[in-house]
Amino acid sequence: MLPILMLNNRKILILSEKDNIAVCLVDMEIGEVIGQDELNLTIQNRIPRGHKVATSAIAKDEGIIKYGERMGHATSDIKIGEHVHTHNVLGDRLSTEQVK
Amino acid sequence: MSNQLTAFARADGRWGLRNHVLILPLHSALSATARKIADESDGAVAVSHDWSGEVDGDFDRIIKTFAGFAANPNNYATVFITIGTPGELLIIDTAKKLGINKAEVLNVAELGSMGKIADAGLKIANSLLKEVKTKTRVNAPWSAIALGQECGGSDALSGITANPALGVASDRLVELGSASVLGETTEILGAEHLLAARAITPEIGAQIIETVARYERSINYEGIDMRGAQPSRGNIEGGLTTLEEKSLGAAKKAGNAQFSGVLEYADQVPKSGLYFMDTPGHDTEQLTGFAAAGINIVVFTTGRGTPTGSAIMPTIKVATNTTMATAIPDLIDLNAGTIAEGIKTLAEVGGELFDLILAVANGQITKAERGLHHEFSLSRMYNTVIK
Repeated sequence: MLPILMLNNRKILILSEKDNIAVCLVDMEIGEVIGQDELNLTIQNRIPRGHKVATSAIAKDEGIIKYGERMGHATSDIKIGEHVHTHNVLGDRLSTEQVK
Repeated sequence: MSNQLTAFARADGRWGLRNHVLILPLHSALSATARKIADESDGAVAVSHDWSGEVDGDFDRIIKTFAGFAANPNNYATVFITIGTPGELLIIDTAKKLGINKAEVLNVAELGSMGKIADAGLKIANSLLKEVKTKTRVNAPWSAIALGQECGGSDALSGITANPALGVASDRLVELGSASVLGETTEILGAEHLLAARAITPEIGAQIIETVARYERSINYEGIDMRGAQPSRGNIEGGLTTLEEKSLGAAKKAGNAQFSGVLEYADQVPKSGLYFMDTPGHDTEQLTGFAAAGINIVVFTTGRGTPTGSAIMPTIKVATNTTMATAIPDLIDLNAGTIAEGIKTLAEVGGELFDLILAVANGQITKAERGLHHEFSLSRMYNTVIK
């Protein structure tokens, strides 16, 4: 799988132009520079393949947009190039906050 | 490749894509005997379960599930094994009303012993299997296909590769006149507004929204924190962060067609059109509900390689990523991971999946069928009350 990806030079997948995240197609190392689809960013954390990276700065409480749709909100400020996952994102619905 | 669908015509106008002889125990204590009969026969199938005739809040749901499962058009015949309780008789009656092709009943009380049941069951099963051999497929309309959409062990690529590829195939089938069903209410939560916008009437759209709202109210009422369960630990490792994210990807299975209606768990599926069915996110409970609804073929997309199948519905496994498809080729029928790699387009893989659905409908055996993945699980809403 890896050699083909490297040939195509696609490391991340942007699913909609409205999105503020992209999906990593390969494991990412700190400091890796992504220049693709008119986007330039430097990877801030190790990010496993399939996980999300911020393609713009996202403020605390701002929506996380994937497929052009809201999938939750940031629980802290997220820098461009940072790993976006359960440590800094919470769903809007069926979370503990809503139940209590 | 011929584009002609062939199937087994049933007397009530439905179509079988398989010609199974199903041995169905109607009490948990009869499960082992049913399995023994199937194992020793020339190719009958059986399922095991844990229902012992309880009359509780789930009684109607369970009767409906067993009756629909028995009456599924993929069954040439169902051999019911019973101890003769009123609940069991109600199942057999309901299956007959649903248009069961052929029903045989073996009663433990009448035959006197498990050994006699096993002997009689084997004799009947082999005689039915001999009849099956004389039956041939005939040309069938596209409405002979009732497709079930399922995703299990989702990963970050599910919503990008396998699910939208299934969407392409489903749209094409719906356009040709087949029925296609999206389920798993848990896994459309967060995407229901997109599905409701595609309903053929505002009422059906409102029903989709209400089905999810009803589920959400029940979870909130129970005070359950869904985090940790949905998305599951495996989903989170795969890169899915929230339930809404998982749902947005899961909903892609239903393509872009309009929704013609909302069905309750195990409601009989109409001949044509795209439907949403209120089913649990648990794979086996949802597949059992699909079978009980008369669905005769399933496409199951998976990121982690879930082996789950059905005793009576051919289940096509589509991998979301090449790593897993390569690691467990004995479980995967088609790899959609090539879409993320830029090797194939979504339209190409969607087309391959459509061709595969047709080939499997026409008799090609799936990996899950070959591996005898015959999972069965009853869906319960209430705590069991011992009678």
